[in-house]
Amino acid sequence: MAISAEYLTLLRVGINASPEWKEAWDRINDYLDALKVPEDVERQLVLLSSFEQAIARKRQEPFTPATQLAFEETQRALDQALGHLIGPEVPQDRRSVEERIRLFLTEPSERGSFKSHVQLSDEVLEALREVRLKPTPRLQQASITARPFRFSSTGEKVITFAERLAFLGSNRILSWCLGLGIIGLLIFASL
Amino acid sequence: MVQHMSGPDRSARLVELVGPARLDEVFQAKVRQRRWAVGLVTLGIAGIGVWLMCDMLNLGGWSPLKVVELGLFVLLFTALAFGFTQAFIGFLVLAEGHEPLKITNTLDPATPLASTAIAMPIFNEDATTVFGNIRTLYDSLQQRSELENFDFYLLSDSVEPSKVVEEELAWADLCRQTNGFGKIHYRRRRLPVNRKSGNIADFCRRWGHRHRYMIVLDADSIMTGEVVSSLVRLMEVNPRTGIIQTMPKLAKAQTLFGRIQQFASRLYSPVFAAGLNFWQQGAGNYWGHNAIIRVSPFLTSCGLPELPGRAPLGGRVLSHDFVEAALMRDAGWEVWFAYDLEGSYEGLPPNLTEYVKRDRRWCQGNLQHMWFLLAEKIRPVSRLHLIQGILAYGSSPLLALFILFGTFQAAIDRWHQKTLNVQLPSAFILMFLTLLLLFSPKLLSLIHLSSQSKSLRPYGGGLRAAVGVLLEVVFSILVAPIMVWFHTRFVFRNLGGQTVTWHTQTREGGEGPGWAATLSEYWPLPVCGIGLGLFAWWISPGYFLWLLPILLGLWLAVPLALLSGRSGLLKSFFLTPEETEPVKELTTSYVFQLREGDQFVHAILDPFYNAVHVALQKERRNHAPAAEGYVASLAAKLFRQGPEALTPREKRALLADGPTVARLHVLIWKTPAHLMNPVWSKALESYRSAERLSKPASEPAEPSHSPVDPAVA
Repeated sequence: MAISAEYLTLLRVGINASPEWKEAWDRINDYLDALKVPEDVERQLVLLSSFEQAIARKRQEPFTPATQLAFEETQRALDQALGHLIGPEVPQDRRSVEERIRLFLTEPSERGSFKSHVQLSDEVLEALREVRLKPTPRLQQASITARPFRFSSTGEKVITFAERLAFLGSNRILSWCLGLGIIGLLIFASL
Repeated sequence: MVQHMSGPDRSARLVELVGPARLDEVFQAKVRQRRWAVGLVTLGIAGIGVWLMCDMLNLGGWSPLKVVELGLFVLLFTALAFGFTQAFIGFLVLAEGHEPLKITNTLDPATPLASTAIAMPIFNEDATTVFGNIRTLYDSLQQRSELENFDFYLLSDSVEPSKVVEEELAWADLCRQTNGFGKIHYRRRRLPVNRKSGNIADFCRRWGHRHRYMIVLDADSIMTGEVVSSLVRLMEVNPRTGIIQTMPKLAKAQTLFGRIQQFASRLYSPVFAAGLNFWQQGAGNYWGHNAIIRVSPFLTSCGLPELPGRAPLGGRVLSHDFVEAALMRDAGWEVWFAYDLEGSYEGLPPNLTEYVKRDRRWCQGNLQHMWFLLAEKIRPVSRLHLIQGILAYGSSPLLALFILFGTFQAAIDRWHQKTLNVQLPSAFILMFLTLLLLFSPKLLSLIHLSSQSKSLRPYGGGLRAAVGVLLEVVFSILVAPIMVWFHTRFVFRNLGGQTVTWHTQTREGGEGPGWAATLSEYWPLPVCGIGLGLFAWWISPGYFLWLLPILLGLWLAVPLALLSGRSGLLKSFFLTPEETEPVKELTTSYVFQLREGDQFVHAILDPFYNAVHVALQKERRNHAPAAEGYVASLAAKLFRQGPEALTPREKRALLADGPTVARLHVLIWKTPAHLMNPVWSKALESYRSAERLSKPASEPAEPSHSPVDPAVA
């Protein structure tokens, strides 16, 4: 795709001159940064084609914000660039998510590898199209039966005895008074 | 098991000579002998102590206080004598150099591996640490070409939205880095029912039939591929074994407290561990992590019962590990302690405060085990393990009462104008005996270490190791009263019906809590210390000196707590092999493509976070209008007011709806700044690359002075 230098300059000058388009330009660049798209010709192509389309749409939809138009067109451009990484059966509203996942999976380093022109082998492409981000394997269910708690015969006796004294522990103040009382009694008896 | 005990090569001949049934009898008789020996030595030492104590108390006549004091002494001194006996026997075992009855004797590297799940339950942990630890084991197994038998499960119970998001991306990144999709699994429960034990049980229910074994790890557990494979092989050759517990070594500590604990554990635990194995044999215990479990009997026998009564002491079992070991034993399976397997590590709380916080949880869990002492079908050795667990915390109030009653008795004697009512020879012998029981295991450990000249080098040499032991003894003496204080508080609180909340453990270093936080938590200790000191001085200066080690710990509680969290102190001491000659698994660190900042915001804005998160959400089959309306209202609130406007619960509800999160991503990115909350536009700018921040390269060409509409262009 040949891009005329004059055309580029004019477009850039135009975008820079309008605060609305300047904001859109920055926003789209931020998005591409978030996607870790490197600063190269590929990126410039996405930007220019997106903005070209957005500007054209602005004429039709003057009240739609430039940022929105630019973002929608960028999504479209990204879809074109990455569409081959996903299968045709992926519904439209899911395509962007799936494309981003493929981009993430093929990204080898901190600074990404967004390159639609990179020739991936058929095998890799096939694998990418089939990939599903499935965090868990197929269920192979089993059951754990909780063992009921049963007292031993001694335990029963201890519990029966403890239950008789349970009223002493039912009230915190009473328990404290009782505890301190026992200590006091011990001291008194030892005097 | 028994057939192989003397080593695989000798076992066949042994079985041939004696016959398997007879061999089992011989083994059981040997174990009984060992237990009798340990019991008799313990009771003998305890008897001497009690006799000396009686001799002391007898002077001046008996009183009710003295009787209670003696009762408490019997309990505490027996527990101390048991610990000493275990360490002493362990020392003898290690000195002898060959223990014929240990499970690792049966290890045969040629044994084929079997399908094993590596299960790591996590709860709001640091994702880099958790996924890094899993990556360590993954790589280690891969290098040994043994990966195919293992599947990794990260079982998340995280509820903090930012942690959930972080875990998801870390999982995807880990799988991407290792090509581990289908091998490394991530599952998050929406509701963390029954906490860690519920988490493991849920795993067993879902995928229990996929694997023969599971190795349970903690979030800070690191295991080498070698130890993991060895555990599987040991299970394979010991078909009656249900659980094998390894001895995890503490590692990666940075703070003074952490390094002291690490040093003490590394140096002293071998003798205790060898002694523990000596008497428990196949009736061992499970500590909840760094252990292998045979899944099938775990499913059939280890379902945890609901305890009688309500929380904190009743209801659901909090501390599941001891109970699971007891249930496994009850079902006829052996539980072994592979104390000499190298390559099993764990982290520890970085400072005293975090350590105490962890104990608060464990205390409640261990106190719940009192029920199992009254339950049927719990074997005697399992009961002993449970008692030991209870006494780990329950001994603190007993010790506090013992000191309190002793002080009251001394005060009564002072009141009656009696002279120091102590039988001096008995008192000195008892003091000597107590100090011997307390500190000789440390000395024995040092002697054991010194007996192998090469072993000393990783500890910085003999002198540094010896000075380290001395410093550790001083530190442990000072910290002991603080631990007694807090444990006593926890026990009384739990007995009084107060439950503990489940907090995430802080596992990393850092400077620990500041002055204000420490003072607010520790101020009663020095206050009580001063009061007790004045009271003891009033009784007699001799009694004051007697209590001085306790008083010092109480007085210095605040500075000790503060110092405990400091890094860089006494760096040339407390060296351990894990610090000076660490294995590769301890030094390798991994980086995941996690962004700084609020992870919840990244789930909305970052294209990768967002895509991964959305892809991991289940599709809703039933569209309930009320639920959809609620999520839509949350999305609107988030868009208008920013992330701070949502509660964690609301954030979780929103995150659970994948399509809404995907729509929010698009909405925020495409909305001009003046039409949305400034928080979002600022957040969007944070994604600007460093290159663009340093040079305005993305700016479209050089600034123009003539306004040209792009549409015209």
